[in-house]
Amino acid sequence: MTKPANPAALQCPVPVEATDRVQLGHGSGGKLSAQLVARHFLPRFENAALAQLGDASIVSIGGAEIAVSTDSFVVQPIEFPGGNIGSLAVHGTLNDVAMMGARPVCLTAGFILEEGLPLAVLDRVIVEMARAAREAGVPIVAGDTKVVERGKADGLFINTTGLGVIDPAFRPAPARAQPGDAIIVSGPIARHGMAIMAAREGMSFESAITSDSASLAPLVDALRAAGLDVHVLRDPTRGGVASALNEIAVASSVGIEIEEMTLPIPGDVRAACEMLGLDPLYVANEGVLVAFVPEAQAARALVALRSHPLGADAVRIGVVVAVHPRIVALRTALGGTRVVDLLPGDQLPRIC
Amino acid sequence: MCLGIPGKIQSIRDDTGLAMGVVDFGGVRRDVCLQYVAGEVSVGDYVIVHVGFAITKLDEAEAQRTFEILREMSQLDELEWMKDSAGQEGQRPETTT
Amino acid sequence: MRYLSEYRDADVARSLITRIKGRATRCWTLMEVCGGQTHTIVRQGLDELLEGAVEMIHGPGCPVCVTPLEQIDKALAIAARPGVIFTSFGDMLRVPGSDCDLQQVRARGGDVKVVYSPLDALALAQRNPDKEVVFFAVGFETTAPANAMAVWRARDLGVRNFSVLVSHVTVPPAITAILTAPGNRVQGFLAAGHVCAVMGYTEYEPIAEQYKVPIIITGFEPVDILEGISMAVNQLEEGRHEVENQYVRSVRRLGTPPARALVQQVFELANRQWRGIGEIPMSGLKLRDEFSAYDAERRFGVGDLKVTESEACKAGEVLTGRIKPPQCPAFGTLCMPERPLGAPMVSTEGACAAYYNLAKYRTADPLETAP
Repeated sequence: MTKPANPAALQCPVPVEATDRVQLGHGSGGKLSAQLVARHFLPRFENAALAQLGDASIVSIGGAEIAVSTDSFVVQPIEFPGGNIGSLAVHGTLNDVAMMGARPVCLTAGFILEEGLPLAVLDRVIVEMARAAREAGVPIVAGDTKVVERGKADGLFINTTGLGVIDPAFRPAPARAQPGDAIIVSGPIARHGMAIMAAREGMSFESAITSDSASLAPLVDALRAAGLDVHVLRDPTRGGVASALNEIAVASSVGIEIEEMTLPIPGDVRAACEMLGLDPLYVANEGVLVAFVPEAQAARALVALRSHPLGADAVRIGVVVAVHPRIVALRTALGGTRVVDLLPGDQLPRIC
Repeated sequence: MCLGIPGKIQSIRDDTGLAMGVVDFGGVRRDVCLQYVAGEVSVGDYVIVHVGFAITKLDEAEAQRTFEILREMSQLDELEWMKDSAGQEGQRPETTT
Repeated sequence: MRYLSEYRDADVARSLITRIKGRATRCWTLMEVCGGQTHTIVRQGLDELLEGAVEMIHGPGCPVCVTPLEQIDKALAIAARPGVIFTSFGDMLRVPGSDCDLQQVRARGGDVKVVYSPLDALALAQRNPDKEVVFFAVGFETTAPANAMAVWRARDLGVRNFSVLVSHVTVPPAITAILTAPGNRVQGFLAAGHVCAVMGYTEYEPIAEQYKVPIIITGFEPVDILEGISMAVNQLEEGRHEVENQYVRSVRRLGTPPARALVQQVFELANRQWRGIGEIPMSGLKLRDEFSAYDAERRFGVGDLKVTESEACKAGEVLTGRIKPPQCPAFGTLCMPERPLGAPMVSTEGACAAYYNLAKYRTADPLETAP
């Protein structure tokens, strides 16, 4: 019996592993990223909180459990349809905290500015950050600014750190997926990554592909308020839905099966992916979450998500299985199966 | 080598002697070099585009004709399965809608 | 998307699968030449769905991956030079040369940029007159017209700081090489649809005739591939060996004559090494003498770079279906995706890499974080 093929993302080809330098692939959210963390950072920063490798880490402070997450934003172009690096920085860190089921309490923001950056651009970034923070009800309470010489920072880089309070009754975690769990995605995928790529590739659109950058806290609140036992929450950012599912499959030691026909991919996003030879499953999202809930609660979870505009298109895309642990498999419209593996590095446009 | 997708020509222009055009791919538009098909295409025609070049004009009539044949064949097969399963259960391959 | 999505119709596809399985009185061995077709077959799990009726051997259809080692090394040497902007299609960035790849050259300070079209590289040259812009012109015949146009335009517009590193390969000699290799099991071919959209398919008629194999010009979507396979199986069952065109919406017998004409004007046939396979005579394209000013090999003096391919690599036998990858002594030991010896392991569409990843699928360490 032929086993399902693993296109290993059909990227051409795998990178040379034995390298003495940082490569772009190390920042892609794929295998190289995972290796960098596992082989360089984790062994030195050894502590139990970090080793969980969740979206945020949990530390105890005076009896309360606090979720902490930090993230840096280096996106180019700085401004794109649907937001800018500032709104992205706020949403991104809020979401990492929210994925632990925690209520975000405050943010910090550190800026590295390139000499020569127009102040008008900086202002637009700050305005969007402020708006995103205000809408989420989460203040930016601390910050820092550094300036580096022209050529050293691509305009600007932002780091944000978020703190949130863990709800003892609502504790999703990457290791909690169980066979039988339904896998739900809260909205259309691949929008953010394609909005960025399209802006970079000089493609124009009848109506622009817009980033989905948004705070997911309202969706998490809806799930919490519905009294559901959510096992895992993850926001599939760099590396896309495929990478997020792979990480969860490994953390929980379970298999995952998803149905290609159910994946919500908007038409223009799909067209842009076709043109560049990209697989939407590996494209970044910034306003979508993946939730794993017990099968019996799947219907209620969908109702809860769809009650909010951000989750209007929430849909079930797959299930957790006990077979092929740590592997994500996809069933095609034709009934064939293939393995959805982690990419080695970034997904690159291809001609083959 | 292979990644060529069909798109619809929206506009054609001359770019210092090179025929260029804006081509629409399901809502996404890009500039494409039309030099190789310049003699045979107009706005509204479909072309196959590879690395920013139209490599051939798509023959819509042929496409429709051959697809119709395939479609009929698949519907005929549906009828066969329906006839068979009137007598026997479980012969019909699973269909998802 | 019009003229794309219809060819993914599940009902039509399933119907074709049923037909193929109903028609085949034995298991036939077919090869799809083009990497894009392999992509679809693997992504759709068509191998699994056709089991018993058809065995697909994945051909050397990724021009990126059969790019000879010496051309990669030349690219790396040029890209590392100061004052050079080295441009390439995305797929080339991770192809390993003798000791590193373009991504690592970029990490070490080389100016390496991914472009979608060769005209983008030319535009880059026009915008950066103080830099030398080099474009890595790889591909089958599908890409040759685009690369030819970039060179032609450069000359027309008088752009001096632009050159191309050429590594084109052509399909018909590869098919012949596979058919004449000892122990070949391939009984029919799905020829590359977009190559034929450009070139037409007259070159395949003598091959079908001489070697008595059906050759079906096939597209890239699941319905196209399945229809192509169905046509091949029909021919094999009937004892015919002709060239037939499945991809009628895009391919005509004479292709796109203006594209062929410009390719002829700018390029000429040359012998070419195929990584892991060896030299196939007259299977490559090189710039004609009157365009030598745009030849990056001459401009950067890397023309004489010679490398040695591994002797342990059995790509030839894998590609003809004589052995399965795990039977090669180097498989998984000397040869693996991170340090491939030959083309079918370099490309993750290649037979060896596909088998290697299946084996990993069973050992289940997808993050490969074990030290």
